[in-house]
Amino acid sequence: MLFAWMLLIVVLALIACMFEDLESDVGSQSNPNSQVQLAPQVGQVNRFFNKAISGEAPAYAMYCTIAGVIAFVLLSKGAHPLLAIPIGAVVGEAVHVIFSVTAHVGRTAAQKRFEQPIYLDVLYGHLLPIATHGFMATLCITAIAYIQSNLGTLSGMSQLNHPFALPMLAFIWGITVGAIGSSTGDIHYGTEREFQDRPFGEGKRVVYHGKITRYAECGIRTQKDIVYFCAKYGGPITGLTFGLIILFENWRTLVGMMLGGYLPNIEAAAGNMAAIIGIVAGLAIGIALIVGNVVVVKWARKRYGPFVGE
Amino acid sequence: MTVGGGPVEEEKKPEGEGFTFPPEATQLGLISAVIAVVIVIFPGLPAIIKAAGLIFALLWGADSVRKTSKYGLGTGVPSIGVLAMGYGIVGALVGIAFGKYVSIGTGLLQVQPGVLVGVIAMAIVGLISGVLSNSEKVIGMKIPGLERGMMELGMAGALAMLLQFSIVAGSLNFDVVIDKAISNGLIAVMFVLSMMAMFHPYNACLGPDERRPRTLMVSVEISGLLCVILGIALAATSTSAWGVANGVSLIIFGAFVWGYFFVKFVKTAMREAYSTVGTGLIKTIE
Amino acid sequence: MEPILLIVCVLAGGVLASLGVHLLPVGGAPAAMGTATGVATGTVMLMLGAAMCGLFTASSVAAFSDNILLVSLSGGVGSWLMMGVTMLMANLLYVFGTGIVPVSGRVDVDPITGESQKEYRTPQCDGHGVPNVSYISGMMGALLGGFGGAIMYFGLLNYANFEPTMAGVAATGIFVSNAIIAAYNIGGTIEGFQDPKFKRLPKALLTCGVISLLCGVLVWVVANLGGLGGTM
Repeated sequence: MLFAWMLLIVVLALIACMFEDLESDVGSQSNPNSQVQLAPQVGQVNRFFNKAISGEAPAYAMYCTIAGVIAFVLLSKGAHPLLAIPIGAVVGEAVHVIFSVTAHVGRTAAQKRFEQPIYLDVLYGHLLPIATHGFMATLCITAIAYIQSNLGTLSGMSQLNHPFALPMLAFIWGITVGAIGSSTGDIHYGTEREFQDRPFGEGKRVVYHGKITRYAECGIRTQKDIVYFCAKYGGPITGLTFGLIILFENWRTLVGMMLGGYLPNIEAAAGNMAAIIGIVAGLAIGIALIVGNVVVVKWARKRYGPFVGE
Repeated sequence: MTVGGGPVEEEKKPEGEGFTFPPEATQLGLISAVIAVVIVIFPGLPAIIKAAGLIFALLWGADSVRKTSKYGLGTGVPSIGVLAMGYGIVGALVGIAFGKYVSIGTGLLQVQPGVLVGVIAMAIVGLISGVLSNSEKVIGMKIPGLERGMMELGMAGALAMLLQFSIVAGSLNFDVVIDKAISNGLIAVMFVLSMMAMFHPYNACLGPDERRPRTLMVSVEISGLLCVILGIALAATSTSAWGVANGVSLIIFGAFVWGYFFVKFVKTAMREAYSTVGTGLIKTIE
Repeated sequence: MEPILLIVCVLAGGVLASLGVHLLPVGGAPAAMGTATGVATGTVMLMLGAAMCGLFTASSVAAFSDNILLVSLSGGVGSWLMMGVTMLMANLLYVFGTGIVPVSGRVDVDPITGESQKEYRTPQCDGHGVPNVSYISGMMGALLGGFGGAIMYFGLLNYANFEPTMAGVAATGIFVSNAIIAAYNIGGTIEGFQDPKFKRLPKALLTCGVISLLCGVLVWVVANLGGLGGTM
């Protein structure tokens, strides 16, 4: 039963981080947004949605924590979790949309001298995709926080409840999911899709910065043209990252608990052994990852070869 | 500019810009500090008055972030806002620990000046970290006014956290606050939304044509949102002397503050942008 | 004995946080465009993400074990796994999604594997991707950072007798302040221990040590005045 809940958490984590990355592509946020900010300053007026809320980590911490608090308040009043968690996510996303509007309008108004107008159809047309993508991410994170804070009660051993309160767990996972989405998924958006008409297979030089691709396959590019591209590679990889992290974390803790004798009957004396096995398993997985990175870099160097051209 | 337990009044300026901020940075800091300090030592007040003090404390923090980040921090604007609230948490914990000991009276007229020890402690820590960050021999950021900025942020963060504790818990006693505001995780949402109220205004309005009154409107608007969320949490727990009306009135107050300033900000920004069009093509300026 | 242990835990946590920040390969905004080496995010966000993962694991383990070394190591290993998977997936994106070879921009020969870096670099770019030396430096940084966060949490939980949520929030607050001041020291981006900026480490250690010491004293005052019990 415990492993079943753990696998459910892994699936939710996968969905959450994939939608987090797609949402940060629909409303351009964090690091690649610096290019969208820079573009009018080098003369490239554009129709991108400039959502400059902050890095993705504090922003997602905010939406998920608000969702967690509202869900917690509703749960403490006796509402069913199936009702409380989505309502919390909706409130979190309402706050998200409010912040997006102030960010886009504020930044564009501060670029008056570069003749960048506020396109109202860009502003209104992107609010709903932002809200829906974000809703999926926030809903999954709040569900993860709920399951983890009630893991013991759901599977029959109430000592396994996580000691943190639900809003605190939502805060922790919100920061983590934002940090991961910002580190992995944004590369696909920033390096590949934003500079689509530059040569593939090299880093984007400093002279290209600001001169983003503003014309799409047909017409002028907006965020809606970007998100379907990034959903084919960047989004799933980011989801896989968070899913693997949650899988490794929970799996090694549970395996440690089982092999150390802490489960199925909670024996307090076996706690230290359980922790030791968990640590050893984690170190082994980490070393396998280092070896994996060495293999990937070596493959890239051999197959791609040194830089050709100027 | 007066703020009381009801709708916020505004003064009409001839250009129609709404709230301008006649106090410049130092005066705004002093006014906000005095108002927030006076409100925080009376934990028995109704939630709306405490929310007004909270709005001022966060406004002070946002102004301080704006002043400090203008010179380029290297890591971006959000980092200094997070720093302020990190200090704010420690300062608020110190404050409520002292609050239990120096307390006069009970109920509505309780005075707890002991919480100010936490504020002063964080001012000292902020000053020391500012001095160490700016001095040539240590980190050497060379930002003018960083010492004063970090000290102000330490104080503003601690005051904001203390006011939010007293809104949700109804008093500033150590055990009551831990039970009602910290153990159930509400402190996480206070931390995150106060942090946002401090750095989002400047981050969202960053650019060469940024204007201070327009930027500070965003801070008040976010404080309104924070009051709505706290009001929902308060209405659900509702054990203070004022009952459920406390929470519901806070929700209404927060919604009104938010709505007024949000509409005003969006209209002002749309008016002050280069142009606002329904749709259109783009041009390239060589 | 007990206040000393508490202050030592908070001090160790803060100092390890700043050391971890200096070891993480952070590229900032240019790395998201393939112009700089490192992970494509901000210093504080990455360190906080790794530390939160470590804090979560440490708090689960602290529920059934009370050995300080085991709890802190669990936190460290939690962060180390998170950074490992994140950096490996980022490399997969660089190699297959954008066709870039991960190389470093600050050294000509990789100090650990001996591979040469210069001819694989794109001109006018300061390196791109996460090469092996930055990867190992990042894993070390996450291990130390997670260890520091977990030891601070353990100290607050057991020596100051805070409750788990309160200890978690207070540990986050002190940790993030130290990480931000260390991030100011490196100016926002760093490649790892091979970067010349790494030599600025002692100054950040000094500053973070002072701040953590003050915060540790304040936390002890809170624990004592609040009457949270003084026995170990």
